[in-house]
Amino acid sequence: MLFRQAGIFHTDYSADRALFPIPADRWMIGSLLLLALAAPLYMNTLYLSSYLLPWLVWTAGALGLNLILGWAGQFHLGYAAVMGIGAYAAVHASRAGIPWEIAIVLAGITAAVIGSVFAFAALRVKGLYLALSTLALQFVMDWTISHVPAISGGTQATLQAPDIRLLGWAVTSDAGLYYVALVWCVLVTSFMLNLRRTALGRALVAVREKDYAAAVIGVNSFYFKLVAFATSSFIGGVTGAILVGTFYHAVTPEQFSVDVSIQALAMVIVGGLGSIIGSYFGAAFILLMPGVMNSFISWAATKFGFSLGIETLAHLPQAFYGALIIGFLLIEPLGLGKIYNNIRDYLLVWPFGYTKK
Amino acid sequence: MTLKDRGGDAPVLECRSVERRFSGIVALNGIDMCIERGEIFGLVGPNGCGKTTLTNAITGFYPPQRGRILLNGRDITGLAPHYVATLGVARTFQNLALFNGMSVLDNILLGRHIHMKPSVGRTALYWWLARGDETLNRAAVEDVIDFLQLEGVRDELVDGIPIGLKKRVELARALAAEPSFLILDEPMAGMNQEEKEYMARFILDARDERNVTVLLIEHHMDVITGICDRMLALNYGEMIGSGVPADVVADPRVVEAYIGGAHATR
Ligand SMILES: Nc1ncnc2c1ncn2[C@@H]1O[C@H](COP(=O)(O)OP(=O)(O)O)[C@@H](O)[C@H]1O
Ligand SMILES: [Mg+2]
Repeated sequence: MLFRQAGIFHTDYSADRALFPIPADRWMIGSLLLLALAAPLYMNTLYLSSYLLPWLVWTAGALGLNLILGWAGQFHLGYAAVMGIGAYAAVHASRAGIPWEIAIVLAGITAAVIGSVFAFAALRVKGLYLALSTLALQFVMDWTISHVPAISGGTQATLQAPDIRLLGWAVTSDAGLYYVALVWCVLVTSFMLNLRRTALGRALVAVREKDYAAAVIGVNSFYFKLVAFATSSFIGGVTGAILVGTFYHAVTPEQFSVDVSIQALAMVIVGGLGSIIGSYFGAAFILLMPGVMNSFISWAATKFGFSLGIETLAHLPQAFYGALIIGFLLIEPLGLGKIYNNIRDYLLVWPFGYTKK
Repeated sequence: MTLKDRGGDAPVLECRSVERRFSGIVALNGIDMCIERGEIFGLVGPNGCGKTTLTNAITGFYPPQRGRILLNGRDITGLAPHYVATLGVARTFQNLALFNGMSVLDNILLGRHIHMKPSVGRTALYWWLARGDETLNRAAVEDVIDFLQLEGVRDELVDGIPIGLKKRVELARALAAEPSFLILDEPMAGMNQEEKEYMARFILDARDERNVTVLLIEHHMDVITGICDRMLALNYGEMIGSGVPADVVADPRVVEAYIGGAHATR
C-alpha cells in the first residue's frame, strides 16, 4: 500500500477536517467496508459467527470504553456491568413484547442512566478512588443480578433471549445477525471518528489533560465527565444487548462478570488509549489470545512433558491480560494503534524516509 | 463590536479590599484595583508577592476570603472558573498549561469552546449539525493564527514546539475566546530579548485591534514602563504603589522592594 500526501492540497476547512483526508486511506476504508459487507458470501459461517461477529461487537464495546478511558481519561473497572445492564434490560424488554429496535435503545438508556447516576456519586473522587468506585458498580451489579430472581430469571440464572426482530422481520440467519453487528460497529466507529474533530471530543481531551486549564477556557469538567460516562454507558448498554441478541442468545451473570470488565480494559489498553483503529486490534488480540495460548500451552506440554491443572489453564489468560495491561501502560500506552501509525507514517513518505512528514 | 457595547462605563475589573490567606500566610491583603476599558494594566512585585494569587482570585480558582471582585460592574466573587470564562475573562498561565497530545490548531480551537455548543447529538450527526459551526470557528481561529504568526506550526503537536512558541499558542488560545478582559501571567518569562519584543507588540496589537483590556503581570520593569498605561506594585501581598508607571517606579517603597528583593537577584 502506498500512502501519499504530496500533491494533496485542501482548499477549504471542511476538507481539511474530512475523516480521511488522504485518498489512499479513503480507498482502504472503502475496500474494507466492501469486504465486510460481502463477508457472508465468501466466508464460512463458522468463521463469520464465531470470529467476525463477536469481534465487531466487542470492538464497539471497546470503543465505548475507550471514550471514557482514552478520551476523558477516567478509569472504569466495571464496564462489563454496564454492558450487562443493557443486556438484561433488552432481554426483559423484548420478552415483554417491545420491538427489538426499541428494546436496544431502552437498553442503552437504562445503562446510561444507571452508569451516570453512579458516576455522579463517583466523580466527586478522582483517580484511584474513581477506579475503585467503578469496581464497586461491578460488584453491586453482580450481586443485584444474582440475588433478584426477577432480573436473573430464577435459580437457573439463564434467561433465554427472544429472536431478534427488525421492523417485524425475524433476523435468525448467520448473515442477518452478522449485519446487525456490522451496522452497530460502523455506527459507533463513525461516532468516535467524529469525536476527533468536534468540540465535544476536544473538551473531553482538555478535561483529561489539565482540568484547571480546561476550566479557564470555560470547560465544565464535571459536566463533561458526566457526559462521557453517560455516552460510554449508552454504547456499552447497546453493545451488551447486541452481544446477547446476536451471539449468546441467552443471558447469564457470568457473561458480564468482573473478569469480562478486565478483558474489556485489556482490549482498550493493548489497542491503545484514544486510538480507534487500536480498539479493533485490541479486541481481535484479546479475543484470539486465549485460543492461541491454549494451543501453545498444550503444544509445549507435550513437547516438554509437563502437565498443568485445568484450574491453572483457566486462569492463565487472566494473568496474561494483567501482565499485558501493565506492560502496555509502561512501555507503549498508545498500544497497537500507535505501532500501526508508526508503520503508516513510515509508508507515507516511503521510500524517501529522510523527508519529514 | 465597539468598545461601548462591552459593558458601558463601569470599569472592566474592580477589586475591592481583596484578601486571600493560605492557612496562615496572608497572600493578599486589602487589594484595591480598578482597570478601565482599553487599558493595559501592569502588576509587578517580587517573587511570591501574590501576583498569581490575585489572578487566581479573579478567575475563581482561589476565591478571596474577604472583599469583592466586579467584572463590568457585575459581582463575580466566588464564581466557578469555567463560568467566569464564559463572562469574557481569559488568561494565560505562568507555567504553561497547554493540552499535550493535541495539535496547535486543536489547542487554539479549544479557546473557542464558549462559542460552540459541544454535544453528543452534534458529534453523532456531524455532517448535518456540526460541520458548519466547526468551519465558522475554524475561520475565527485562523484569524488568530494569522495575527500571532503561528501558521508554520499549526499542525504540529503542541508538546514538541519551543517554549517561546508555546507561550504564543497559549496567548492564541486565550485570544480565540474573544475575551473582553485578558490576564497574562508573566508571558515573557524565559524569553530572549527578541521574543520579548514580539510579545510586547502582540499585546499592544491585541488591545488596539481586538478590543481587549489587559492585566499584564511582569517581572521586568522595562516592559511595564514601556507598554502599560497604569500599574500596581505589590510586596508581601500588600499594595505598595499604584498609578502611572513613571510615578510608581520612582516611589521609594517600590524602589526599596525591588532593590532589596527580586531585582537584585535577577
Ligand atoms: N495553593 C497555595 N497554597 C498555599 N500557599 C500558596 C498557594 N498559592 C500561593 N501561595 C502562597 O502565596 C504567596 C503568593 O504566591 P504567588 O501569588 O504565586 O506569588 P507571585 O505570583 O507573585 O510570584 C506565596 O507565599 C505562596 O507561597
Ligand atoms: Mg506568579
